[in-house]
Parts: sequence; C-alpha cells; structure tokens
Amino acid sequence: MPGDSNEARLAELLCQCMAELLAELGVQPEPLTRAPSPPDAGETVAAFSGFGNDELRGSFTFLGPSKLFSRLHPLPSTVTPRDLTDWACELVNQSVGRFRNRLLAYGVKLSLSVPQSALADNLRLASSLQPARSPIAFAIDGMVLEGWLELEIEPSFRLAQSPVAEGAEALLEGSVVLF
Amino acid sequence: MNNKTVLIVDDSLTVRQQVSLTLTSAGYQIVEARDGREGVDVLRARAGIAMVLCDVNMPCMSGLEFLETVKGDAAVPPVPVVMLTTDGSPDLIARAKRAGAKGWIVKPFRTDLLLAAVRRIAGEPG
Repeated sequence: MPGDSNEARLAELLCQCMAELLAELGVQPEPLTRAPSPPDAGETVAAFSGFGNDELRGSFTFLGPSKLFSRLHPLPSTVTPRDLTDWACELVNQSVGRFRNRLLAYGVKLSLSVPQSALADNLRLASSLQPARSPIAFAIDGMVLEGWLELEIEPSFRLAQSPVAEGAEALLEGSVVLF
Repeated sequence: MNNKTVLIVDDSLTVRQQVSLTLTSAGYQIVEARDGREGVDVLRARAGIAMVLCDVNMPCMSGLEFLETVKGDAAVPPVPVVMLTTDGSPDLIARAKRAGAKGWIVKPFRTDLLLAAVRRIAGEPG
C-alpha cells in the first residue's frame, strides 16, 4: 500500500523530533523497539495536538506517567497537577512543531491545532488504525513515554525521499532573528 | 528604579513562567496574558510596556492576529513585538515582519539569546 512507506517515514521523522526535544531537555531517551508494557497503574498524563493539510491529517498524543512529566518539567520545584498538564501540552506542541518545521524541507506544509491535555488514573491508549500501530516509545529514567501517531493520508500524497528544491528551510529551534 | 516591563503572551503557563524567570532575574518586570485577546486588553489598559513576547498558536486570538490587531489599533501605543513560537516557517516569519514584528524566536528558546534579544529591543532594565 503506497501509504505504508509514507506513514513509516513520517513516524520516523516524528520519532527523531521527539528524541531531539527530549535530549534538549537534558534527558537521555532510550528508544524502545517493541511495544512497551502497559503503563504502571497510577496517575497518567495525555496531551495531544492535531495537524493537517489537504492531503494529510492526523494527531500526535503523548502519554506517560505524571512523574515523568514532572521529571521533564523545567521548573520542577513548583510543579502542580495543573503545571503537568500544561507542560505536557507544550511538549507535544514543541514535538509537532518541530515535525512541521522538518517537513517544510520536503515541500509539506502543516497547520497545527492548539494542544489539549488530560490527567487520568490508569489511562491506556490504543491505535484506531488498521492494522494497529505501536506507539513511538522512549524509556526515560525507568519510565516510558509513548507517542501515538494517527494519520489519514490521501492516495495522492507522496513524501519525497529527500528534501526538495521547492521546499523551504525552517528557522531552527532556538534561533533568534531580529528585524 | 524604573524597571522596563515586558508583556508575555502565551497560552502555556510553563512558558510564561520560564520567560518570566529569565527576565525577572535580569531586572525586568513582567505582565502576562494567556492569549492574543488578553494581550490586546493589557496593551489598551496599561501604558509603559517596553516590548511584547508573543506566541503564535493560541486559542481565542493567535499571535499573528494579535500583532495585526495592535498595529492597527490607535488605542494601543506603539510597542515592539517579538514572536516566540515553535513555528520556523519562512512564510509566516515574512508575514509577521510585514505586519510590523521586530523579531522571531523559535522554541525551545535559549535563555541567553532570549535575554540578549530583550535587551536589544526593550533596552536595559533600568
């Protein structure tokens, strides 16, 4: 199916974006090559952002124990449950934002939704895709952060094998430009 | 001491806290707004804002809508606006520049570069 390689490559690109972001937060994420075990019982945070254009629509959801989001929070001494859900939104926003920036070089422009989040006990996610997809997963300090990518791709969509001439180069994360 | 005041417009509490901590440590005063609409209200109600740091992707009113609104609003005193966003799209940056933005910073930001940009645009805190 033509969509399969597109999907796999988009997932790989998003996985790289997630790994880069986590590294910039000062943790060493260990990619997990198989589906992780169900999350431990306890408080869980989920945050998600939608994205799309005429040929490609989807969403990306972060799921992990609240302790993990607390570990990743830039101001850990002040963390409250509200802070955790807010920070989870920002993390998914920065991951999908980075994904959007990388795709620009391939001539793909995406619009993003405003991220949302939820705090729950024993929350687990499942893929709605057929065949079901495993999440992108990283182990961080003995905890698992899952990234669930859901995609709907039009048959006309083809992700170029490499950046294209008509693609645009996005300003890199951390850059400052004054006019 | 007459410290410079910076308005931070971002729907993320964490980002507002991060920016606020960086700038208050350097001597700036901070006012916060959770989206573009609140940001416009702050600028209409309060004089003496030295500059605005503004996210792009926000509910109610986006950062670019905020920029275009305040630049066309006679009730808002002229104030430099720098966008602070995950978006690095050249098209969007060009649109912001045309609308009167003074700069563009891509998240996650480096505190030293953020502070240097604020010093350059708003001046030393006083």
